[in-house]
Amino acid sequence: MSKSLEIEICGVKFNNPIITASGTFGYGIEYARFIDLNKLGGVSVKGISLNETTGNKMPRIMETNAGMLNAIGLQNVGVEKFIKEKLPLLKKYDTRIIVNFWGKSIEEYVEVARILDETDIDMLEMNISCPNIKEGGIAFGTDPKMTYSVVYETKKVIKNKPLIVKLSPNVTDIKLFGKVAQEAGADAISAINTLLGMAINIETKKPYISNITGGLSGPAIKPVAIRMVYELYKTVSIPIIGIGGIMNYKDVVEFYLAGASAVQIGTANFVNPEISIKIVTELEDYLKSKKVDKITDLTGKVIA
Amino acid sequence: MKGKVVNNLMLNDKYYLMEIESEDFVNKAKPGHFMMVKAQQYDYLYDPLLRRPFGVCDIERGRFKILYVLIGKGTNLLSQIKTGSQIEFSEPLGNTFKFNNEKTVALVGGGVGIAPLLFLAKYLHNQDVLVDLYYGGKTEDDILLIDEFKKYCQHIEVTTENGKVGKKGIVTSPLSENIKKYEKIYACGPKRMLQATSTLAINHNIPIEVSLDERMACGMGACLGCLVYVKNDQGEIEQKRCCVEGPVFDGARIVWE
Ligand SMILES: Cc1cc2nc3c(=O)[nH]c(=O)nc-3n(C[C@H](O)[C@H](O)[C@H](O)COP(=O)(O)OP(=O)(O)OC[C@H]3O[C@@H](n4cnc5c(N)ncnc54)[C@H](O)[C@@H]3O)c2cc1C
Ligand SMILES: Cc1cc2nc3c(=O)[nH]c(=O)nc-3n(C[C@H](O)[C@H](O)[C@H](O)COP(=O)(O)O)c2cc1C
Ligand code: FES
Repeated sequence: MSKSLEIEICGVKFNNPIITASGTFGYGIEYARFIDLNKLGGVSVKGISLNETTGNKMPRIMETNAGMLNAIGLQNVGVEKFIKEKLPLLKKYDTRIIVNFWGKSIEEYVEVARILDETDIDMLEMNISCPNIKEGGIAFGTDPKMTYSVVYETKKVIKNKPLIVKLSPNVTDIKLFGKVAQEAGADAISAINTLLGMAINIETKKPYISNITGGLSGPAIKPVAIRMVYELYKTVSIPIIGIGGIMNYKDVVEFYLAGASAVQIGTANFVNPEISIKIVTELEDYLKSKKVDKITDLTGKVIA
Repeated sequence: MKGKVVNNLMLNDKYYLMEIESEDFVNKAKPGHFMMVKAQQYDYLYDPLLRRPFGVCDIERGRFKILYVLIGKGTNLLSQIKTGSQIEFSEPLGNTFKFNNEKTVALVGGGVGIAPLLFLAKYLHNQDVLVDLYYGGKTEDDILLIDEFKKYCQHIEVTTENGKVGKKGIVTSPLSENIKKYEKIYACGPKRMLQATSTLAINHNIPIEVSLDERMACGMGACLGCLVYVKNDQGEIEQKRCCVEGPVFDGARIVWE
């Protein structure tokens, strides 16, 4: 692989800027049968909490126009089981490991982060933006005071790893939340999580998913995500990881121009499990054809 | 994986049978497996977005078949794919039907749920198992591939709700009359049919496996969108992913809400 795709975020070196997004790639190992995980820049694993969580009732997913709604409810095996059973399997691959985590209270966020900080993962990604759980979740990401507190308190116990804060798009002014996260000590920002949405079956008059509302992801949300990365880039000085509806290398370039330093691929993994690896190759060819030495040269280069 | 569509046959207003050439897929496929199929022919079309799950209906000399019913965007796009086109799909996914040297078995299918049962019937027939088929549909349009099934089945019982083809009524009636004959039952179809068939099997102490149909996004165990609730040995309820731990489950253990 050429050097043009190598990046460094908060001191962590990635072979390429393509990271699989939390919740769309399981614990990474689910995909190992189908693709070569060594070719990915990084993997962000399913949101981990202190205790095992069973998630929401079924049905939990529904397809919408050029997107999908999900209300999985942050189901996961809990931090201890993750470290014992899942992490060693993922460690066998040469890819950076980002652990997405969440809590129902500030104390839980702090505790999970403290435990993960002692493992040999590469980065932590704090999820304060899940629209699908009642306690915690989105509340932390939509109230600037709570955002500040949870990031500040958690950052205090993290000694060894950079902390990414994953922002919610379900706010009027994302710039404010980017600023608050940075002030509270975030080392990087990832944006965006899913947009709160809803779909109704006109035959039964019932919502399609049991939680009534769900998180919208996929190509349908890309313009919103690009706009938010653009706004954040003008506001914060820490690196931004762009997420939302990426389906091909062109979308990646668009995120870079808006201000991203890396990207995460989510729903596209469902559409084609090989897509993240395909994007790495396409991106390399694009840079070569445009005579761009390093992908990072594109960050924030939109002419506006 | 990619393959060439060698046939995309309209069986009637509702059903299509697609035949795809792929040595690679055929070598891996076992009865019970399904695949995620890309319905749109162009990469830039993101609507519909997700691939669609379909059971392996039959395999033969480097080719496999899917039987599908027109439901919405995805299946309608599939029906428009021309012979000779390339189509993308996943490897064979999920678990498979299990066998324990049973000599006489019943297959129970409804509507498009008949799809994976043809592959199963053929496989069992080749193992010298005596196979009977119980096939239920709403109308005569839902009764398909009978001539194919005749090659592998001893006895076929068809029921339709309007009685135009086969006996009038539901498929569990003829099944219940003969059920003592069977050492194992395999079923695929609408949930209510699977539940009724499982209850019959449990009451007669006959092992039953059913293939379930849940809405799927990834098909490979990552999204947790396809859960099924199953009782374990201790009687506790566990969550299983239909796409990885299924789609074939022990019918006696399923919690049917
Ligand atoms: C393991 C498995 C095997 C299957 N095998 C067959 C088969 O052999 N033949 C066949 O005709 N059908 C089969 N199905 C059902 C088939 O996947 C759906 O009918 C099809 O996805 C509908 O797509 P659509 O775009 O036409 O409908 P739409 O209503 O437009 O689909 C909207 C969304 O809902 C999902 N969806 C809708 N209905 C179903 C359903 N019943 N099951 C799963 N997802 C659904 C779609 O995947 C899509 O994401 C199977 C389903 C599963 C889970
Ligand atoms: C099924 C599903 C589960 C998700 N689970 C998580 C999660 O556990 N933690 C998290 O931070 N984001 C989660 N997300 C959000 C994604 O990581 C990503 O931010 C979002 O889907 C937008 O990107 P996309 O359009 O490329 O999918 C989930 C998304 C989906 C579709
Ligand atoms: S469809 Fe994604 S886990 Fe089963």
